[in-house]
Amino acid sequence: MDAFNNLFVNIAAAIRGLFADSHSLGADLTINIIVFILLFLIMVVAALFLSLVERKFAHWVSQRPGPNRLGPHGWFQFIADAVKMLGKEDITPANVDKFLFKMAPMILVGVTLMAFGVLPFGKGMVAINLDLGIVYFLAVSSISTLALLMAGWASNNKYSLLGGLRAVAQMISYEIPLLFSLLGVVMITQTFNLSSIVEAQKSVPFIFLQPLAFVIYLIAGIAETNRAPFDQVQGEQEIVAGPFTEYSGLRWGLFMLAEYGNVVATSVIAVSMFLGGWYGPEFLPGWLWFILKIWLVIFLMMWVRWTFVRMRIDHLMHFAWKILLPLSLVNIFLTGMGIYVYDQLILRIGG
Amino acid sequence: MTIEGTQEYSINMGPQHPSTHGVFRMVVHLDGEVVTKVEPKIGYLHRGLEKMAESRTYTQFIPYTDRLDYLAGPHNSLGYVQAVEKLMDLEVPERAEYLRVIFAELGRIASHLVMIASGSLDICGWTPWSYCFRDRERILDLFEMTAGNRMTPNYFRIGGVSHDVPDEFMPALKSFLDDMPENMEEYLGIFFGNEIAQSRMKSVGILPKELAENLLITGANLRASGVQYDIRKAEPYGIYDRFDFNIPVLYGCDTYDRHLLRLLEIQESIKILRQALRDIPEGPVMAKVPKVIKPPIGKVYHRVENPKGEMGWYIVSNGTTKPARVRIRTGAFVNVQMLSAIIAGWKIQDLVTIFASMDLVLGEVDK
Amino acid sequence: MVSDSLRARVGELAARVNGEVEESLGVLELTVNHSDAIEALNGAKNLVDVPCDFLHDLCGMDLEDHLEVVYQLSSLRGAQRLRIIARVERDNPVIDSATRFWKGADFLEREAFDMFGIQFKGHPNLKRIYMWDDFEGYPMRKDYVIESHEQRAIMRVRKEGE
Repeated sequence: MDAFNNLFVNIAAAIRGLFADSHSLGADLTINIIVFILLFLIMVVAALFLSLVERKFAHWVSQRPGPNRLGPHGWFQFIADAVKMLGKEDITPANVDKFLFKMAPMILVGVTLMAFGVLPFGKGMVAINLDLGIVYFLAVSSISTLALLMAGWASNNKYSLLGGLRAVAQMISYEIPLLFSLLGVVMITQTFNLSSIVEAQKSVPFIFLQPLAFVIYLIAGIAETNRAPFDQVQGEQEIVAGPFTEYSGLRWGLFMLAEYGNVVATSVIAVSMFLGGWYGPEFLPGWLWFILKIWLVIFLMMWVRWTFVRMRIDHLMHFAWKILLPLSLVNIFLTGMGIYVYDQLILRIGG
Repeated sequence: MTIEGTQEYSINMGPQHPSTHGVFRMVVHLDGEVVTKVEPKIGYLHRGLEKMAESRTYTQFIPYTDRLDYLAGPHNSLGYVQAVEKLMDLEVPERAEYLRVIFAELGRIASHLVMIASGSLDICGWTPWSYCFRDRERILDLFEMTAGNRMTPNYFRIGGVSHDVPDEFMPALKSFLDDMPENMEEYLGIFFGNEIAQSRMKSVGILPKELAENLLITGANLRASGVQYDIRKAEPYGIYDRFDFNIPVLYGCDTYDRHLLRLLEIQESIKILRQALRDIPEGPVMAKVPKVIKPPIGKVYHRVENPKGEMGWYIVSNGTTKPARVRIRTGAFVNVQMLSAIIAGWKIQDLVTIFASMDLVLGEVDK
Repeated sequence: MVSDSLRARVGELAARVNGEVEESLGVLELTVNHSDAIEALNGAKNLVDVPCDFLHDLCGMDLEDHLEVVYQLSSLRGAQRLRIIARVERDNPVIDSATRFWKGADFLEREAFDMFGIQFKGHPNLKRIYMWDDFEGYPMRKDYVIESHEQRAIMRVRKEGE
């Protein structure tokens, strides 16, 4: 079982061993390039696959068959979707701000990829082992707000502008409860490094110590990725597709890629910070447990999407500022009290 | 009012839009997210049915009537054939009357199901939408079994109905009626009981009672503002006076009540259908009507309670085989005025919800 | 079908507005000239005991030598029904608007204007409703002939500001 657990670490070590000095610049560069390509592939495959899973799940909830023509029970549908998207005409409307219009999807994908860099997929399987892990992740993912605003403004379309402004309002409001809910975990583990946080959950996953924070994180995470019930950025029934209205073909594909990449990233953080990362009973390797836990969180997010209806924008802001934010502050306070009491007990009992 | 330095702008929610229930265009004047004025611009589906009626015989016009409120297929022709029968003073056989009631109420249920479904779809509730359409499919199967066409069966004739229903109709109808109460519990749970849906719809789009009467609103929109008025009870047509059913009235005047009222009306229609199924006699389905229908000179204004509102037929006959004037007063056309009257001050997302609760269908609005 | 009190009141109203009363298939019809239409509507709304205060329909009608505006009235709280027919001249069809009594008559009058060309004085926004704004002709009039296929095939270009 240990061999399976360390499968990818051993492969990386073997590749390093091919170089004369296994920590030279050349070795590091090679490993980094391979990891980068792997991450990109993971993101693309996840996005394609998740879009199909989402449709299947949605139709299962509504008692419809879902895509069932291509491949066994329709599981090759994503190939058709990808080919269709690649083959579509790239329409750039006449009076758009061309630079911003083209940059917006690229920034969004780039930001998501950068955020993937610090995610711990298993023991020792993190692309960049940053000590500032979680801070870096939150900082980078808040740049995606800017990309949506660029897309909304540059499209020269009132619907897109409305969508872009709604995106700014929503994403800024929900970042604060997101941050504060993760602060409780950081207070317990005294580190920002994601791998260390996961290792600190060896005995008990933090969801039992921080249940409120988990719920707040999940809600704020769904809001950050613009999924229902917080998806009035891409209102569809009101503002057609918000900032994505004027994008067609591969540019729109990049937006979808970034959205599903964000979904995966959010659930990876949820799993790492609350659900114990790669720890699990011994009969499966660690990284497989990790994948199963991500599946669980993504399943939860999809379930919420297809059950609830959309919230109105002022209810949404009210919810973020007047309900989630005080709750997350209460959580921090309780965590602090808990740590203080725990330390006192350890002092009394241990000393 | 605008804050210093901001500007009002107008958006065109054009004829092609995911949520305007058909080819309906509105010019929406906005101040940020708040709507200040809405100008509806209709006529994109105008087919000139009233003009066409003047060059068709009375029987030739019946298929056109089905295309008015195409979601409640057979119900439209009910008013028309009853108006012509009034002109000609025809008596319709009993079995035909019961069959007419059955088809009309099935059309009403189908239309209300679409209204609830699209009301939920407009706030991104995909699941109630597919549940409602699943049940609507069974009604459309019943129509197809009888007349071949799903949405516009073209089944009624002047003097009765075109032919008798096949043998598998009654058992299929009975099993549909037995399954419906459980399905309506599902809708209550997933849509009407959903807290987010309630917060989107309660106290949104208030239509006060006096304004509703002044705007000549009819149908379920009027009953959700507290006025107890239903043509089936006020001026019964056909054999509606033999059935025992209530008129649901709600007093909230808001969007939630307008949606909920239609669910309650589905329950009442199911009651009527059960009674019709129990009491329907055997017999002929068509009266002895002359080959060429030539009503005597006269005028008649006959109204029925369409699912969308009141549908009035003003038919003027000049003694020939073609009418001199067929005037169709449709509920949805007059109800459009409700939108610009109550929209000021609500947000764009409420505009979509209020619009869905008005239950328009463009076939009726544009004739 | 027609109650005696309704018949009596409508008779009095007819005397006031110089109208003629007929009965057609159980409904009383009051025919007036276009100049008395508003007074007739007001009177019908305020009939003692049997007010006909809900306008169901307002439509135009083209008879050979004159046009007509037909109002169908009844009440939400009673069984009374009344039909008021106002004769309008064909060459200069002008009549006062009923929007002063019922805001909902707005669209109905716009449709009568669009289809018959009847001008409603005092209407807040008398524009065409079904046909496009610079359409020529009034489709529901008997002398309007449906255009041929060749004429209909000409594409129309949308102008600025529509």
